[in-house]
Amino acid sequence: MLNGALQAVEEVNASGLGIAIEPVVVNPGGDLARYPVLAESLLKRGIRHVVGCYTSSSRKEVIPLFEKHDALLWYPSHYEGFESSTSVIYTGAAPNQHVLPLAEYLLQHHGDRAFCVGSNYIWAWENNRILRESVTANGGAVLAERYFAVGEEDFRQVIVAILEARPSFVFLTLIGTSAYKFFRDFRAACHDCGIDQAGEIPVASCSLSEPELEAIGDDAVDGHLSSSVYFCSIRSPENIRFLQAHRARYPERPTASADAEASYNAVWLLARAAAAAQSGDPRAVKAELVHQHLDAPQGKVRIDEHTFHAYLTPRIGRSNRHAGFDLVSEARTPVQPDPYLVRSSQRFEANAAPSLRLVS
Amino acid sequence: MTEPSLLQNFSGGRAIVVTDRVSSLDVLISTLIRLGVVTDPADIVTTAAAIDLAALQPERDIIFIDGDVGDGTALPLSAIGRLPPAPIVGMVGVSAPSRLKALMRAGATSFLRKPIHGAAVYPALFVGVNEYRRHRHLESLLEDQERRRRGRRDVVKAIIATMAQYCIDDDEAYDLLRRRSMKARQTLEDLCKDLVRSTDGQEHGDSVLRRKLAD
Repeated sequence: MLNGALQAVEEVNASGLGIAIEPVVVNPGGDLARYPVLAESLLKRGIRHVVGCYTSSSRKEVIPLFEKHDALLWYPSHYEGFESSTSVIYTGAAPNQHVLPLAEYLLQHHGDRAFCVGSNYIWAWENNRILRESVTANGGAVLAERYFAVGEEDFRQVIVAILEARPSFVFLTLIGTSAYKFFRDFRAACHDCGIDQAGEIPVASCSLSEPELEAIGDDAVDGHLSSSVYFCSIRSPENIRFLQAHRARYPERPTASADAEASYNAVWLLARAAAAAQSGDPRAVKAELVHQHLDAPQGKVRIDEHTFHAYLTPRIGRSNRHAGFDLVSEARTPVQPDPYLVRSSQRFEANAAPSLRLVS
Repeated sequence: MTEPSLLQNFSGGRAIVVTDRVSSLDVLISTLIRLGVVTDPADIVTTAAAIDLAALQPERDIIFIDGDVGDGTALPLSAIGRLPPAPIVGMVGVSAPSRLKALMRAGATSFLRKPIHGAAVYPALFVGVNEYRRHRHLESLLEDQERRRRGRRDVVKAIIATMAQYCIDDDEAYDLLRRRSMKARQTLEDLCKDLVRSTDGQEHGDSVLRRKLAD
């Protein structure tokens, strides 16, 4: 994320747009308590635009401060939706841009029996809820929903359960090292049983990016499905330019990812809007922001005037042996963000079981 | 009776706002738009008396009442559950007990603190609308119980008559009446009422009983 943002800052400053951005970098190191402290220190210095936060919990920690100081948080991560703070610009994907397209793809190509495995927090709960509604609305079933503490690495039991249940696919919302370990162990267990894991029980995720594929390791890197608005393999002049600059700037670092692209886009949108407003004032920037159309690495990106979430292009990729993704599906045009799923979900909660009882 | 499932997507909804401070509604209305709920300018009224009750649709409409508008009018409430004709979210400025009580009496099932914060609107709708639906469900259960309670006297009479008619005990009589009511797709209470009432009417009780109980 930081790499993408700094790359954009450098480009903006060299672009002749008429504005200069001076980046100030602070690092809470993933410690929730440090987020509000550091955010407040930035805001007290008079800084009015902050790009950052990865998890929803860190974003929720700092939002009150941005509201109090009339500042803007540019949040470049895909998340579970159901929020639209007036002090946040959301440049990552909303659930209708990542979970729903993945659910549709899985139902169409792999079947309707889902097995959900996730880290025990809001991102996994909410994504599983959305997936369950899509799957049950199509007559399918969620066979099981299993949660593990963040950082857990022992998946023997759940792998046995998956092999017994034989779902059409595994929907994975584990994060970080837990996810990498699961990919490796599940692939190995399937191999031992003579099952072609990628072909028969593919693992699908909304948060798998190229740098993470590198972390999984060679033996289990290929054949996983990922839903994202950005993959490095997108063939467009904008993306090729973005990747070349990224590699030149960070030769030793991991490849670019959806998060790097979203922060890159956030900084460019901020710069364009500030240049149009001829001011860094958050109100003026917001007013101009909705008129900006960015030719981003993923395609056209603009901000929706009602929700301040971004129009983005959903894609499904399948990982290959070279730790990259081959695109298997792509939306034709950028999709309007729908953070509350008002246009893309059922009116009522999908009810697990009807309340019937045996009477005779 | 199945408990209603939770309403989570309010798209297609209509908000009706009772307030005399239209200028303070920007956040509420813009947040409602994001949630797919429309507020027509004609639906912003200064008194609850101005709401067109005949046009209200409880499945779609949500009424926001400003607790600081003390115009003394209130919407009609249902007899048993004291429920308004559509879900009400109370907007609270002065949070003195008397104001809160007035909003609760009006049938509010959730509250929004003024000045309204955008992030508070979805939870207020979620709780307010779903609480209203739950109350309405409980109300219909209560109505049903009340109907049964009123019919109890006729059920007892019908059991006694059936026992005498067929020389059977009360359990068998009850069972016979129950099965008959299921076959006739009539509630047990209604069947028993027909049986008992007909004894004081034109038709003779015994013949009705025989006809009703004949298999």
